[in-house]
Amino acid sequence: MVNMMIDGKKVSAPKGTMLLESIRGAGIAVPTLCAHEAISRSGACRLCVVEIKKGNRTRIVTSCLYGVEEGLIVDTKSERVLNVRRLVMELLLARCPESDVLQKMARDMGVEPQPRYAVDTDKGKCILCRSCVRVCEEVVGVSAIGLFSRGSYKEVGTPYNEKSDVCIGCGACVYVCPTGHIEMISTGDKRKIWGRTFKMQACSKCGKFFAPVDQLKFISKKTGTSMEELSVCTECR
Amino acid sequence: MNIVENFDLFAPRLINKQELLSSGHRACSGCAEVLAVRLMCKALGENTIIASATGCMEIVSSMFPTTAWRVPWIHVAFENTAAVASGVEAGLKALRKKGKIDDRYIKVVGMAGDGGTMDIGFQALSGAMERGHDMIFVCFDNEAYMNTGIQRSSGTPMGASTTTAPAGKVSSGQKTWKKNMAEIMVAHEIPYVATVCPSYPLDFIRKIEKAKSIQGPSYIHCFSMCPTGWRSPSHTAISMGRLAVETGVFPLFEVEHGHYRISPDMPRKLRPIRQYFKPQGRFRHLKDDEIDQIQERVTLEYQKLMGKAKYL
Repeated sequence: MVNMMIDGKKVSAPKGTMLLESIRGAGIAVPTLCAHEAISRSGACRLCVVEIKKGNRTRIVTSCLYGVEEGLIVDTKSERVLNVRRLVMELLLARCPESDVLQKMARDMGVEPQPRYAVDTDKGKCILCRSCVRVCEEVVGVSAIGLFSRGSYKEVGTPYNEKSDVCIGCGACVYVCPTGHIEMISTGDKRKIWGRTFKMQACSKCGKFFAPVDQLKFISKKTGTSMEELSVCTECR
Repeated sequence: MNIVENFDLFAPRLINKQELLSSGHRACSGCAEVLAVRLMCKALGENTIIASATGCMEIVSSMFPTTAWRVPWIHVAFENTAAVASGVEAGLKALRKKGKIDDRYIKVVGMAGDGGTMDIGFQALSGAMERGHDMIFVCFDNEAYMNTGIQRSSGTPMGASTTTAPAGKVSSGQKTWKKNMAEIMVAHEIPYVATVCPSYPLDFIRKIEKAKSIQGPSYIHCFSMCPTGWRSPSHTAISMGRLAVETGVFPLFEVEHGHYRISPDMPRKLRPIRQYFKPQGRFRHLKDDEIDQIQERVTLEYQKLMGKAKYL
Protein backbone atom coordinates (compact mmCIF):
# COMPACT_ATOMS: atom_id res chain seq x y z
CA MET A 1 0.00 0.00 0.00
CA VAL A 2 1.15 3.51 -0.77
CA ASN A 3 -0.04 6.72 0.88
CA MET A 4 -0.97 9.86 -1.01
CA MET A 5 -2.72 13.16 -0.51
CA ILE A 6 -5.60 13.75 -2.91
CA ASP A 7 -7.28 17.17 -2.62
CA GLY A 8 -6.14 17.36 0.99
CA LYS A 9 -7.47 13.90 1.85
CA LYS A 10 -5.18 11.11 3.00
CA VAL A 11 -5.69 8.15 0.67
CA SER A 12 -3.94 4.81 0.57
CA ALA A 13 -4.08 2.57 -2.46
CA PRO A 14 -2.62 -0.81 -3.41
CA LYS A 15 0.60 -0.71 -5.43
CA GLY A 16 0.25 -1.07 -9.16
CA THR A 17 -3.19 0.57 -9.41
CA MET A 18 -3.83 3.76 -11.32
CA LEU A 19 -4.45 7.18 -9.87
CA LEU A 20 -7.94 7.41 -11.36
CA GLU A 21 -9.27 4.57 -9.18
CA SER A 22 -7.85 6.15 -6.02
CA ILE A 23 -9.34 9.53 -6.89
CA ARG A 24 -12.76 8.07 -7.59
CA GLY A 25 -12.47 5.87 -4.51
CA ALA A 26 -11.94 9.02 -2.46
CA GLY A 27 -15.28 10.27 -3.77
CA ILE A 28 -13.97 12.85 -6.18
CA ALA A 29 -15.58 13.07 -9.59
CA VAL A 30 -13.26 12.99 -12.60
CA PRO A 31 -14.77 13.19 -16.09
CA THR A 32 -13.61 10.46 -18.45
CA LEU A 33 -14.69 9.15 -21.83
CA CYS A 34 -12.28 6.41 -22.81
CA ALA A 35 -11.67 4.61 -19.48
CA HIS A 36 -13.57 1.32 -19.52
CA GLU A 37 -12.83 -1.42 -17.02
CA ALA A 38 -13.05 -4.26 -19.52
CA ILE A 39 -10.29 -2.92 -21.77
CA SER A 40 -6.79 -1.57 -21.28
CA ARG A 41 -6.23 2.15 -20.85
CA SER A 42 -4.96 4.39 -23.60
CA GLY A 43 -5.28 7.88 -22.15
CA ALA A 44 -6.82 9.14 -25.35
CA CYS A 45 -9.57 11.51 -24.23
CA ARG A 46 -7.28 13.55 -21.90
CA LEU A 47 -10.20 14.62 -19.71
CA CYS A 48 -8.94 12.83 -16.60
CA VAL A 49 -5.92 15.11 -16.21
CA VAL A 50 -4.81 16.02 -12.68
CA GLU A 51 -1.92 17.98 -11.22
CA ILE A 52 0.64 15.99 -9.25
CA LYS A 53 3.35 17.32 -6.99
CA LYS A 54 6.58 15.46 -6.33
CA GLY A 55 9.09 17.44 -4.31
CA ASN A 56 8.92 21.01 -5.55
CA ARG A 57 7.77 20.29 -9.08
CA THR A 58 4.22 19.99 -10.24
CA ARG A 59 3.03 18.62 -13.53
CA ILE A 60 -0.12 17.62 -15.35
CA VAL A 61 -0.67 13.90 -15.95
CA THR A 62 -3.54 11.71 -17.13
CA SER A 63 -4.74 10.01 -13.97
CA CYS A 64 -6.04 6.95 -15.81
CA LEU A 65 -2.51 5.97 -16.82
CA TYR A 66 -0.44 7.28 -13.92
CA GLY A 67 0.42 4.64 -11.32
CA VAL A 68 0.09 5.47 -7.64
CA GLU A 69 3.25 6.53 -5.82
CA GLU A 70 4.25 6.98 -2.21
CA GLY A 71 4.01 10.57 -1.00
CA LEU A 72 2.31 11.91 -4.11
CA ILE A 73 0.31 15.10 -3.68
CA VAL A 74 -2.58 15.25 -6.15
CA ASP A 75 -4.77 18.20 -6.96
CA THR A 76 -7.82 17.45 -9.11
CA LYS A 77 -9.51 20.82 -8.95
CA SER A 78 -6.70 23.37 -9.35
CA GLU A 79 -7.13 26.20 -11.83
CA ARG A 80 -4.40 24.73 -14.03
CA VAL A 81 -6.17 21.36 -14.22
CA LEU A 82 -9.53 22.93 -14.94
CA ASN A 83 -8.01 25.05 -17.69
CA VAL A 84 -6.53 22.00 -19.39
CA ARG A 85 -9.82 20.12 -19.08
CA ARG A 86 -11.79 23.04 -20.49
CA LEU A 87 -9.42 23.34 -23.43
CA VAL A 88 -9.67 19.60 -24.14
CA MET A 89 -13.42 19.80 -23.95
CA GLU A 90 -13.55 22.79 -26.31
CA LEU A 91 -11.45 20.90 -28.84
CA LEU A 92 -13.55 17.75 -28.51
CA LEU A 93 -16.68 19.82 -28.94
CA ALA A 94 -15.27 21.41 -32.08
CA ARG A 95 -14.47 17.98 -33.46
CA CYS A 96 -17.82 16.32 -32.67
CA PRO A 97 -20.47 19.03 -32.25
CA GLU A 98 -23.34 16.56 -32.70
CA SER A 99 -22.47 14.17 -29.89
CA ASP A 100 -25.05 14.54 -27.12
CA VAL A 101 -22.70 12.87 -24.61
CA LEU A 102 -20.11 15.57 -25.21
CA GLN A 103 -22.72 18.30 -25.17
CA LYS A 104 -24.00 17.15 -21.78
CA MET A 105 -20.47 16.86 -20.40
CA ALA A 106 -19.61 20.31 -21.68
CA ARG A 107 -22.73 21.75 -20.05
CA ASP A 108 -21.76 20.17 -16.74
CA MET A 109 -18.26 21.63 -17.02
CA GLY A 110 -19.53 25.01 -18.11
CA VAL A 111 -17.84 24.85 -21.51
CA GLU A 112 -19.36 26.48 -24.58
CA PRO A 113 -18.42 25.96 -28.24
CA GLN A 114 -15.64 28.40 -29.11
CA PRO A 115 -15.83 30.39 -32.34
CA ARG A 116 -12.03 30.32 -32.68
CA TYR A 117 -12.06 26.60 -33.52
CA ALA A 118 -13.40 25.61 -36.92
CA VAL A 119 -16.11 23.00 -36.48
CA ASP A 120 -15.49 19.65 -38.14
CA THR A 121 -18.31 18.24 -40.19
CA ASP A 122 -16.84 14.98 -41.43
CA LYS A 123 -15.75 13.36 -38.18
CA GLY A 124 -19.13 12.17 -36.95
CA LYS A 125 -19.07 11.56 -33.20
CA CYS A 126 -15.68 9.84 -33.14
CA ILE A 127 -13.11 11.23 -30.72
CA LEU A 128 -10.46 8.66 -31.76
CA CYS A 129 -10.26 7.13 -28.30
CA ARG A 130 -9.55 3.70 -29.76
CA SER A 131 -11.89 1.94 -27.30
CA CYS A 132 -13.56 0.03 -30.14
CA VAL A 133 -10.21 -1.03 -31.58
CA ARG A 134 -9.04 -2.30 -28.22
CA VAL A 135 -12.25 -4.14 -27.38
CA CYS A 136 -12.11 -5.87 -30.77
CA GLU A 137 -8.55 -6.93 -30.11
CA GLU A 138 -8.60 -7.70 -26.40
CA VAL A 139 -12.10 -8.88 -25.56
CA VAL A 140 -13.41 -10.28 -28.83
CA GLY A 141 -10.05 -11.25 -30.28
CA VAL A 142 -10.53 -10.57 -33.98
CA SER A 143 -8.93 -7.13 -34.66
CA ALA A 144 -11.32 -6.29 -37.46
CA ILE A 145 -11.01 -2.52 -37.08
CA GLY A 146 -8.18 -0.08 -36.59
CA LEU A 147 -7.12 3.52 -36.98
CA PHE A 148 -5.77 4.60 -40.33
CA SER A 149 -4.47 7.71 -42.09
CA ARG A 150 -2.45 10.39 -40.33
CA GLY A 151 -3.05 13.69 -38.62
CA SER A 152 -6.39 15.33 -39.16
CA TYR A 153 -7.39 12.63 -41.65
CA LYS A 154 -7.10 9.89 -39.04
CA GLU A 155 -10.21 7.80 -38.72
CA VAL A 156 -11.43 4.50 -37.38
CA GLY A 157 -12.69 1.69 -39.57
CA THR A 158 -12.02 -1.55 -41.32
CA PRO A 159 -8.87 -1.76 -43.52
CA TYR A 160 -9.28 0.43 -46.65
CA ASN A 161 -12.88 1.04 -45.51
CA GLU A 162 -13.85 -2.16 -47.26
CA LYS A 163 -16.07 -4.96 -46.00
CA SER A 164 -14.07 -6.87 -43.44
CA ASP A 165 -13.88 -10.63 -43.67
CA VAL A 166 -12.72 -11.09 -40.09
CA CYS A 167 -15.44 -8.92 -38.50
CA ILE A 168 -17.99 -11.17 -36.79
CA GLY A 169 -20.65 -8.52 -36.29
CA CYS A 170 -20.80 -8.92 -32.52
CA GLY A 171 -21.34 -5.24 -31.82
CA ALA A 172 -18.92 -5.03 -28.88
CA CYS A 173 -17.43 -1.88 -30.45
CA VAL A 174 -20.87 -0.27 -30.45
CA TYR A 175 -21.28 -1.18 -26.82
CA VAL A 176 -18.07 0.45 -25.60
CA CYS A 177 -18.12 3.52 -27.84
CA PRO A 178 -18.47 6.43 -25.38
CA THR A 179 -20.00 8.87 -27.83
CA GLY A 180 -22.19 6.59 -29.94
CA HIS A 181 -20.27 7.03 -33.19
CA ILE A 182 -20.49 3.48 -34.52
CA GLU A 183 -23.74 2.56 -36.19
CA MET A 184 -25.28 -0.87 -35.94
CA ILE A 185 -28.68 -1.50 -37.47
CA SER A 186 -30.43 -4.75 -36.61
CA THR A 187 -33.57 -5.52 -38.56
CA GLY A 188 -34.96 -9.01 -38.11
CA ASP A 189 -32.67 -11.46 -39.85
CA LYS A 190 -30.03 -8.91 -40.84
CA ARG A 191 -27.53 -6.75 -39.01
CA LYS A 192 -25.57 -3.99 -40.66
CA ILE A 193 -22.30 -2.82 -39.16
CA TRP A 194 -19.07 -1.42 -40.64
CA GLY A 195 -20.62 -1.45 -44.11
CA ARG A 196 -21.23 -5.17 -44.11
CA THR A 197 -24.55 -6.95 -43.74
CA PHE A 198 -24.55 -10.01 -41.51
CA LYS A 199 -27.01 -12.84 -41.59
CA MET A 200 -28.54 -13.45 -38.17
CA GLN A 201 -29.00 -16.90 -36.72
CA ALA A 202 -32.54 -17.86 -35.76
CA CYS A 203 -32.82 -19.77 -32.51
CA SER A 204 -33.62 -23.39 -33.31
CA LYS A 205 -36.15 -23.51 -30.47
CA CYS A 206 -37.98 -20.16 -30.35
CA GLY A 207 -37.12 -18.82 -33.80
CA LYS A 208 -35.87 -15.46 -32.54
CA PHE A 209 -32.90 -13.94 -34.36
CA PHE A 210 -30.28 -13.53 -31.70
CA ALA A 211 -26.70 -13.37 -33.02
CA PRO A 212 -24.84 -13.16 -36.34
CA VAL A 213 -23.99 -16.54 -37.85
CA ASP A 214 -20.36 -15.45 -38.22
CA GLN A 215 -20.14 -14.72 -34.51
CA LEU A 216 -21.43 -18.19 -33.63
CA LYS A 217 -18.99 -19.78 -36.07
CA PHE A 218 -16.17 -17.82 -34.45
CA ILE A 219 -17.21 -18.87 -30.93
CA SER A 220 -17.63 -22.46 -32.07
CA LYS A 221 -14.13 -22.47 -33.49
CA LYS A 222 -12.63 -20.81 -30.44
CA THR A 223 -14.34 -22.88 -27.74
CA GLY A 224 -14.88 -26.14 -29.56
CA THR A 225 -18.62 -26.05 -28.91
CA SER A 226 -20.73 -27.51 -31.67
CA MET A 227 -22.83 -25.23 -33.86
CA GLU A 228 -26.00 -27.16 -32.95
CA GLU A 229 -25.56 -26.19 -29.32
CA LEU A 230 -24.82 -22.59 -30.20
CA SER A 231 -27.82 -22.18 -32.48
CA VAL A 232 -30.09 -22.21 -29.43
CA CYS A 233 -30.41 -18.71 -28.00
CA THR A 234 -29.32 -17.99 -24.43
CA GLU A 235 -32.93 -17.74 -23.34
CA CYS A 236 -33.92 -21.22 -24.52
CA ARG A 237 -30.76 -23.00 -23.46
CA MET B 1 -14.93 -23.09 -21.32
CA ASN B 2 -18.08 -21.27 -20.47
CA ILE B 3 -19.87 -20.49 -23.68
CA VAL B 4 -22.34 -18.03 -22.19
CA GLU B 5 -19.54 -15.77 -21.04
CA ASN B 6 -18.53 -14.55 -24.46
CA PHE B 7 -21.87 -14.90 -26.11
CA ASP B 8 -24.49 -12.50 -27.36
CA LEU B 9 -22.79 -9.19 -28.07
CA PHE B 10 -19.87 -10.03 -25.75
CA ALA B 11 -21.67 -7.62 -23.46
CA PRO B 12 -21.64 -9.85 -20.38
CA ARG B 13 -17.89 -9.29 -20.34
CA LEU B 14 -18.22 -5.55 -20.74
CA ILE B 15 -20.71 -4.70 -18.00
CA ASN B 16 -19.65 -3.43 -14.58
CA LYS B 17 -17.71 -6.05 -12.64
CA GLN B 18 -18.18 -4.44 -9.24
CA GLU B 19 -20.54 -6.30 -6.91
CA LEU B 20 -22.25 -3.65 -4.81
CA LEU B 21 -24.66 -6.19 -3.37
CA SER B 22 -22.33 -8.82 -2.02
CA SER B 23 -22.94 -12.53 -1.95
CA GLY B 24 -23.79 -14.31 1.30
CA HIS B 25 -27.18 -12.69 1.82
CA ARG B 26 -30.09 -14.82 2.95
CA ALA B 27 -32.43 -14.80 -0.04
CA CYS B 28 -34.30 -18.00 -0.93
CA SER B 29 -32.77 -20.17 -3.61
CA GLY B 30 -34.03 -19.15 -7.02
CA CYS B 31 -34.92 -15.61 -5.94
CA ALA B 32 -35.09 -13.39 -8.99
CA GLU B 33 -35.64 -10.26 -6.96
CA VAL B 34 -32.16 -10.34 -5.45
CA LEU B 35 -30.79 -10.88 -8.94
CA ALA B 36 -32.66 -7.79 -10.03
CA VAL B 37 -31.22 -5.77 -7.14
CA ARG B 38 -27.72 -6.94 -8.04
CA LEU B 39 -28.18 -5.89 -11.66
CA MET B 40 -29.61 -2.57 -10.51
CA CYS B 41 -26.52 -1.91 -8.37
CA LYS B 42 -24.25 -2.83 -11.27
CA ALA B 43 -26.03 -0.34 -13.48
CA LEU B 44 -26.07 2.42 -10.85
CA GLY B 45 -22.45 2.19 -9.78
CA GLU B 46 -20.82 3.40 -6.59
CA ASN B 47 -22.15 6.92 -6.34
CA THR B 48 -25.56 5.89 -5.11
CA ILE B 49 -27.59 6.13 -1.93
CA ILE B 50 -30.38 3.63 -1.54
CA ALA B 51 -33.42 3.99 0.71
CA SER B 52 -35.12 0.65 1.07
CA ALA B 53 -38.55 -0.12 2.47
CA THR B 54 -39.26 -3.03 4.75
CA GLY B 55 -39.58 -6.20 2.73
CA CYS B 56 -37.74 -9.23 1.48
CA MET B 57 -34.71 -7.28 0.32
CA GLU B 58 -34.30 -5.58 3.66
CA ILE B 59 -34.66 -8.83 5.61
CA VAL B 60 -32.29 -10.89 3.51
CA SER B 61 -29.57 -8.30 3.05
CA SER B 62 -29.21 -6.62 6.41
CA MET B 63 -29.68 -9.12 9.21
CA PHE B 64 -27.93 -7.70 12.26
CA PRO B 65 -24.91 -7.45 12.55
CA THR B 66 -24.21 -8.19 8.91
CA THR B 67 -24.93 -6.34 5.72
CA ALA B 68 -24.68 -7.23 2.07
CA TRP B 69 -24.60 -3.62 0.87
CA ARG B 70 -21.49 -1.86 -0.37
CA VAL B 71 -23.31 1.42 -1.01
CA PRO B 72 -24.89 3.73 1.56
CA TRP B 73 -28.21 2.13 2.40
CA ILE B 74 -31.03 3.24 4.68
CA HIS B 75 -33.78 0.99 5.89
CA VAL B 76 -37.04 2.83 6.41
CA ALA B 77 -40.62 1.92 7.12
CA PHE B 78 -43.08 0.77 4.50
CA GLU B 79 -44.80 4.14 4.21
CA ASN B 80 -41.97 6.58 3.69
CA THR B 81 -39.39 5.15 1.31
CA ALA B 82 -39.98 7.75 -1.36
CA ALA B 83 -40.21 10.49 1.27
CA VAL B 84 -36.85 9.52 2.77
CA ALA B 85 -35.25 9.23 -0.67
CA SER B 86 -36.50 12.68 -1.61
CA GLY B 87 -35.27 14.02 1.72
CA VAL B 88 -31.82 12.56 1.13
CA GLU B 89 -31.77 14.16 -2.30
CA ALA B 90 -32.76 17.55 -0.90
CA GLY B 91 -30.19 17.18 1.89
CA LEU B 92 -27.40 16.37 -0.55
CA LYS B 93 -28.33 19.39 -2.60
CA ALA B 94 -28.19 21.67 0.42
CA LEU B 95 -24.87 20.26 1.66
CA ARG B 96 -23.35 20.57 -1.79
CA LYS B 97 -24.47 24.17 -2.01
CA LYS B 98 -22.82 24.92 1.32
CA GLY B 99 -19.66 23.18 0.18
CA LYS B 100 -19.75 20.63 2.98
CA ILE B 101 -19.52 17.63 0.66
CA ASP B 102 -17.64 17.28 -2.60
CA ASP B 103 -19.45 18.00 -5.79
CA ARG B 104 -19.68 14.55 -7.36
CA TYR B 105 -23.07 13.54 -8.65
CA ILE B 106 -24.90 11.09 -6.40
CA LYS B 107 -28.06 9.33 -7.47
CA VAL B 108 -30.65 8.68 -4.81
CA VAL B 109 -32.69 5.54 -5.25
CA GLY B 110 -35.79 4.43 -3.40
CA MET B 111 -36.63 0.76 -3.57
CA ALA B 112 -39.63 -1.13 -2.28
CA GLY B 113 -41.65 -4.21 -2.95
CA ASP B 114 -45.09 -4.19 -4.50
CA GLY B 115 -46.76 -3.70 -1.12
CA GLY B 116 -44.41 -0.88 -0.20
CA THR B 117 -45.06 0.81 -3.55
CA MET B 118 -48.62 0.15 -4.57
CA ASP B 119 -50.37 -0.04 -1.19
CA ILE B 120 -48.60 1.41 1.81
CA GLY B 121 -45.96 3.66 0.30
CA PHE B 122 -48.15 5.02 -2.44
CA GLN B 123 -48.87 8.51 -1.17
CA ALA B 124 -45.22 9.21 -0.35
CA LEU B 125 -44.23 8.00 -3.80
CA SER B 126 -46.89 10.05 -5.52
CA GLY B 127 -45.74 13.12 -3.59
CA ALA B 128 -42.07 12.61 -4.35
CA MET B 129 -42.75 12.14 -8.05
CA GLU B 130 -45.00 15.18 -8.15
CA ARG B 131 -42.40 17.38 -6.44
CA GLY B 132 -39.90 16.38 -9.11
CA HIS B 133 -36.98 15.22 -6.98
CA ASP B 134 -33.93 13.99 -8.85
CA MET B 135 -34.30 10.33 -7.86
CA ILE B 136 -35.15 6.88 -9.14
CA PHE B 137 -37.84 4.77 -7.55
CA VAL B 138 -37.64 1.06 -8.26
CA CYS B 139 -40.56 -1.21 -7.42
CA PHE B 140 -39.64 -4.88 -7.10
CA ASP B 141 -42.96 -6.47 -7.82
CA ASN B 142 -43.29 -10.09 -6.75
CA GLU B 143 -47.06 -9.84 -6.67
CA ALA B 144 -47.78 -10.34 -2.94
CA TYR B 145 -46.38 -9.62 0.53
CA MET B 146 -43.93 -12.52 0.24
CA ASN B 147 -41.77 -11.57 3.21
CA THR B 148 -44.56 -11.94 5.76
CA GLY B 149 -46.08 -15.07 4.26
CA ILE B 150 -47.71 -14.48 0.87
CA GLN B 151 -50.56 -12.11 1.73
CA ARG B 152 -52.37 -10.49 -1.17
CA SER B 153 -51.46 -6.97 -2.24
CA SER B 154 -52.87 -4.76 -4.95
CA GLY B 155 -50.12 -6.13 -7.17
CA THR B 156 -51.46 -9.67 -6.95
CA PRO B 157 -52.92 -10.74 -10.29
CA MET B 158 -56.48 -11.97 -10.75
CA GLY B 159 -56.94 -15.60 -9.83
CA ALA B 160 -53.73 -16.06 -7.83
CA SER B 161 -54.08 -17.98 -4.60
CA THR B 162 -52.51 -16.29 -1.56
CA THR B 163 -52.84 -16.91 2.16
CA THR B 164 -55.34 -14.06 2.57
CA ALA B 165 -57.08 -14.75 -0.75
CA PRO B 166 -56.98 -18.53 -0.72
CA ALA B 167 -58.49 -20.68 -3.41
CA GLY B 168 -61.03 -23.22 -2.24
CA LYS B 169 -64.61 -24.33 -2.68
CA VAL B 170 -66.08 -20.84 -2.64
CA SER B 171 -63.30 -18.53 -3.75
CA SER B 172 -60.87 -18.88 -6.61
CA GLY B 173 -58.05 -16.74 -5.33
CA GLN B 174 -57.58 -13.02 -5.84
CA LYS B 175 -60.79 -11.36 -7.01
CA THR B 176 -59.41 -8.07 -8.36
CA TRP B 177 -57.19 -7.09 -11.25
CA LYS B 178 -53.60 -6.06 -10.74
CA LYS B 179 -53.05 -2.35 -10.26
CA ASN B 180 -51.34 -0.88 -13.31
CA MET B 181 -48.63 0.99 -11.47
CA ALA B 182 -46.55 2.00 -14.48
CA GLU B 183 -49.55 3.77 -16.01
CA ILE B 184 -50.23 5.60 -12.75
CA MET B 185 -46.66 6.85 -12.82
CA VAL B 186 -47.01 7.89 -16.46
CA ALA B 187 -50.01 9.92 -15.35
CA HIS B 188 -47.70 11.84 -13.00
CA GLU B 189 -45.97 13.05 -16.15
CA ILE B 190 -42.47 12.29 -14.91
CA PRO B 191 -39.60 12.18 -17.41
CA TYR B 192 -39.02 8.44 -17.43
CA VAL B 193 -41.06 5.33 -16.62
CA ALA B 194 -39.97 1.83 -17.58
CA THR B 195 -40.85 -1.76 -16.88
CA VAL B 196 -38.02 -4.26 -16.56
CA CYS B 197 -37.53 -7.94 -15.84
CA PRO B 198 -34.26 -9.56 -14.65
CA SER B 199 -34.74 -12.34 -17.22
CA TYR B 200 -33.63 -9.71 -19.75
CA PRO B 201 -30.47 -8.43 -18.03
CA LEU B 202 -29.11 -6.23 -20.82
CA ASP B 203 -32.46 -4.51 -21.27
CA PHE B 204 -32.61 -4.13 -17.49
CA ILE B 205 -29.19 -2.49 -17.23
CA ARG B 206 -29.84 -0.22 -20.18
CA LYS B 207 -33.07 1.09 -18.68
CA ILE B 208 -31.57 1.71 -15.24
CA GLU B 209 -28.63 3.52 -16.84
CA LYS B 210 -31.05 5.67 -18.78
CA ALA B 211 -32.99 6.48 -15.60
CA LYS B 212 -29.70 7.36 -13.93
CA SER B 213 -28.77 9.78 -16.69
CA ILE B 214 -32.08 11.63 -16.43
CA GLN B 215 -32.26 14.70 -14.19
CA GLY B 216 -35.56 14.39 -12.41
CA PRO B 217 -37.79 11.65 -11.07
CA SER B 218 -37.97 8.32 -12.82
CA TYR B 219 -39.88 5.19 -11.98
CA ILE B 220 -38.81 1.63 -12.79
CA HIS B 221 -41.25 -1.23 -12.33
CA CYS B 222 -39.37 -4.50 -11.98
CA PHE B 223 -41.11 -7.82 -12.33
CA SER B 224 -39.37 -10.11 -9.83
CA MET B 225 -40.34 -13.74 -9.84
CA CYS B 226 -40.72 -15.41 -6.44
CA PRO B 227 -40.61 -19.22 -6.65
CA THR B 228 -41.49 -19.54 -2.96
CA GLY B 229 -44.66 -17.49 -3.14
CA TRP B 230 -45.67 -18.53 -6.61
CA ARG B 231 -45.42 -22.19 -5.68
CA SER B 232 -43.08 -23.12 -8.48
CA PRO B 233 -39.70 -24.91 -8.52
CA SER B 234 -36.81 -22.57 -7.78
CA HIS B 235 -34.99 -23.29 -11.04
CA THR B 236 -37.92 -21.87 -13.04
CA ALA B 237 -37.54 -18.25 -11.88
CA ILE B 238 -35.80 -16.95 -15.02
CA SER B 239 -37.97 -18.90 -17.45
CA MET B 240 -41.07 -17.68 -15.60
CA GLY B 241 -40.01 -14.08 -16.13
CA ARG B 242 -39.57 -14.75 -19.83
CA LEU B 243 -42.95 -16.42 -20.00
CA ALA B 244 -44.58 -13.46 -18.27
CA VAL B 245 -43.08 -11.15 -20.88
CA GLU B 246 -43.76 -13.42 -23.84
CA THR B 247 -47.39 -14.03 -22.88
CA GLY B 248 -48.01 -10.30 -22.47
CA VAL B 249 -48.83 -10.56 -18.77
CA PHE B 250 -45.95 -8.17 -18.09
CA PRO B 251 -44.99 -6.29 -21.26
CA LEU B 252 -41.62 -4.52 -21.32
CA PHE B 253 -41.83 -0.90 -22.37
CA GLU B 254 -40.52 2.54 -21.53
CA VAL B 255 -42.15 5.94 -21.52
CA GLU B 256 -39.88 8.90 -22.07
CA HIS B 257 -41.61 12.27 -21.70
CA GLY B 258 -44.91 10.69 -22.68
CA HIS B 259 -43.54 8.77 -25.67
CA TYR B 260 -44.14 5.06 -25.44
CA ARG B 261 -41.63 2.56 -26.77
CA ILE B 262 -42.02 -1.20 -26.65
CA SER B 263 -38.74 -3.00 -25.88
CA PRO B 264 -37.19 -4.94 -28.75
CA ASP B 265 -37.29 -8.07 -26.58
CA MET B 266 -41.06 -8.30 -26.92
CA PRO B 267 -42.14 -11.07 -29.31
CA ARG B 268 -44.24 -10.28 -32.37
CA LYS B 269 -46.93 -12.76 -31.40
CA LEU B 270 -47.89 -13.36 -27.80
CA ARG B 271 -47.98 -16.86 -26.35
CA PRO B 272 -51.13 -18.10 -24.62
CA ILE B 273 -51.14 -17.36 -20.88
CA ARG B 274 -51.86 -21.02 -20.12
CA GLN B 275 -48.14 -21.67 -20.64
CA TYR B 276 -47.35 -19.09 -17.97
CA PHE B 277 -49.98 -20.34 -15.51
CA LYS B 278 -49.12 -24.01 -15.79
CA PRO B 279 -45.82 -24.14 -13.87
CA GLN B 280 -47.22 -22.06 -10.98
CA GLY B 281 -49.05 -23.59 -8.03
CA ARG B 282 -50.86 -20.35 -7.25
CA PHE B 283 -52.87 -20.63 -10.49
CA ARG B 284 -53.39 -24.40 -10.30
CA HIS B 285 -57.05 -24.20 -9.24
CA LEU B 286 -58.16 -22.02 -12.17
CA LYS B 287 -60.79 -23.49 -14.45
CA ASP B 288 -60.69 -23.15 -18.22
CA ASP B 289 -63.34 -20.44 -18.43
CA GLU B 290 -61.55 -18.40 -15.76
CA ILE B 291 -58.28 -18.62 -17.66
CA ASP B 292 -60.06 -17.57 -20.86
CA GLN B 293 -61.44 -14.54 -19.04
CA ILE B 294 -57.97 -13.54 -17.85
CA GLN B 295 -56.55 -14.16 -21.34
CA GLU B 296 -59.14 -11.81 -22.79
CA ARG B 297 -58.15 -9.07 -20.37
CA VAL B 298 -54.40 -9.58 -20.93
CA THR B 299 -54.88 -9.37 -24.71
CA LEU B 300 -56.99 -6.23 -24.36
CA GLU B 301 -54.43 -4.54 -22.09
CA TYR B 302 -51.65 -5.44 -24.50
CA GLN B 303 -53.55 -4.07 -27.46
CA LYS B 304 -54.13 -0.85 -25.54
CA LEU B 305 -50.40 -0.59 -24.89
CA MET B 306 -49.56 -1.27 -28.52
CA GLY B 307 -51.99 1.45 -29.51
CA LYS B 308 -50.26 3.90 -27.19
CA ALA B 309 -46.86 2.93 -28.59
CA LYS B 310 -48.19 3.55 -32.07
CA TYR B 311 -49.80 6.94 -31.51
CA LEU B 312 -47.98 8.48 -28.54
